[in-house]
Amino acid sequence: MSDPARPLPVPTPDYRPFWDFVRAHELRLQHCAACGRFRYPVSPRCHGCFSAEWSWQPVSGRGTVTSWVVFHRSYYAAFAGRIPYGVVQVELEEGPRLVANLLDAGPGEPAIGLAVDVVYEQVSDEVTLYQFRPARAD
Amino acid sequence: MQLDASIAGIGMTEMGRFPKRSNLDLATEAFVLALEDSGLDRADVDGLSTNIGHPLGVDYDQFAEALGLDIRYALQTWTHGRFVGTALHAAALAVSTGMADCVACVCALGFTKLGQVGGPEDAEGSRPGGGSHGERPEFGMTAPAGGAALATTRYFHRFGAGSEDLAHVAVALREHALRNPRALRRTPLTVAEHQASRYVVEPLRLFDCCQVTDGGACLIVTRADRARSCPRPQVRILSAQGIRSGREEFIFSPRGNGIGQQGDFAAPPTGKDLTAFRLAGLDRGDIDLFYTYDAFSPLVWFALERFGFCGPGEAPAFVHDGNIGPGGRLPTNTNGGLLSEGHLSGWNHLAELVRQLRGEAGEGQIPDAEVALWGTAFGDAVLFAR
Repeated sequence: MSDPARPLPVPTPDYRPFWDFVRAHELRLQHCAACGRFRYPVSPRCHGCFSAEWSWQPVSGRGTVTSWVVFHRSYYAAFAGRIPYGVVQVELEEGPRLVANLLDAGPGEPAIGLAVDVVYEQVSDEVTLYQFRPARAD
Repeated sequence: MQLDASIAGIGMTEMGRFPKRSNLDLATEAFVLALEDSGLDRADVDGLSTNIGHPLGVDYDQFAEALGLDIRYALQTWTHGRFVGTALHAAALAVSTGMADCVACVCALGFTKLGQVGGPEDAEGSRPGGGSHGERPEFGMTAPAGGAALATTRYFHRFGAGSEDLAHVAVALREHALRNPRALRRTPLTVAEHQASRYVVEPLRLFDCCQVTDGGACLIVTRADRARSCPRPQVRILSAQGIRSGREEFIFSPRGNGIGQQGDFAAPPTGKDLTAFRLAGLDRGDIDLFYTYDAFSPLVWFALERFGFCGPGEAPAFVHDGNIGPGGRLPTNTNGGLLSEGHLSGWNHLAELVRQLRGEAGEGQIPDAEVALWGTAFGDAVLFAR
């Protein structure tokens, strides 16, 4: 089943590698070779030390919810059936923050401070998204 | 080096839903009204500073061509409230330096013809890497309200505030609107009504979000000596400062609020945040009137804190104590704001500011209004005096 007209990430040259990794179920960010910072959004230079030397390195996928919203109004046909739906801001262990949906949320979730793990959601033949779900003890 | 610029005239159409009127038509009406107010002639206008172009407004080139203007200084900014003061201060810089003698700042808005704000038709929100309000359509994160809500959730968490605190912003601005014949929302609003209104993007409710309307506004800027010979009392532009930007800035989030890639820290204003005051030789205590871009009620808090009218996290109490309403220590958005008057992007606030400083604000006139500040949560500001 595919969602009607689900908006998809734009595969520009800067972001294509990021989304190619996600499709392979890897969350990788740019890692500065000079100072060791991970960074997001994508940039040709380290925002801290300004080095142009970097490589795509995997992050742990673990993070914490540091903010959230819940949409009660439908802006996209693809999301209309999910109203109300949540969007979370996750601060990765490595520092950068990403926005995503929270899958498998329980009562009272999302909440600031919730520990989460990255998961992957295939939304079309070509596109997989990273998402997060509450980290639970197995 | 100081600015030499004054508001020589203002013009504003009615605000409302006008699906049959083009943006060009709305802009033209506002421009003609401003010319009449200033006593100047179309031929005097040699500068054009446009905030908001197609499709929400009208582009400078179409406007100049259609009206038969001969412009030697044209500037056009993005849509959005952070470019209101920017377009105005650009006009002030142009006349101060002699790049132009008479600049028309023009804003037309045709929200009615656009449908909703946000969603699949929002090109800016679909920008690779994220939209200018933090939009990420693939996650259903869209619309300016989404970014404002994300910042509000975190601010609530850091400072122990909640939706009921936001109600007091909306209630205060509605109180101003009750004394403004131009306002579209002129029934009293209570905290209970605000709390009963539905969530749009939680934690923001319906009454935390501005109206969207159609209309046009125009301010005419000249050097002070020219404005002095105009029929209406001039309003001087004393100084200005620009929009802040960088990793510590997220469009609707105060510095240090931890949204996007911002740090986590309390952020009272620094020298950079108060440039316009320093340039004008004024401080906060000199401000009689405050005008700010209030697309969402929390932006009023964030702007109050940006300029240090209260400390980080103290804006909810500052508003709750009655400081921004009629009779308050710092009357804010005396027209009722975007929240209660209507949406001309903030140009309606500037027109109101001018009427107040001229002493022509009618029932809503704030006594002894001499110095006014336009200052936004994005850090830009313009200082005015009569």
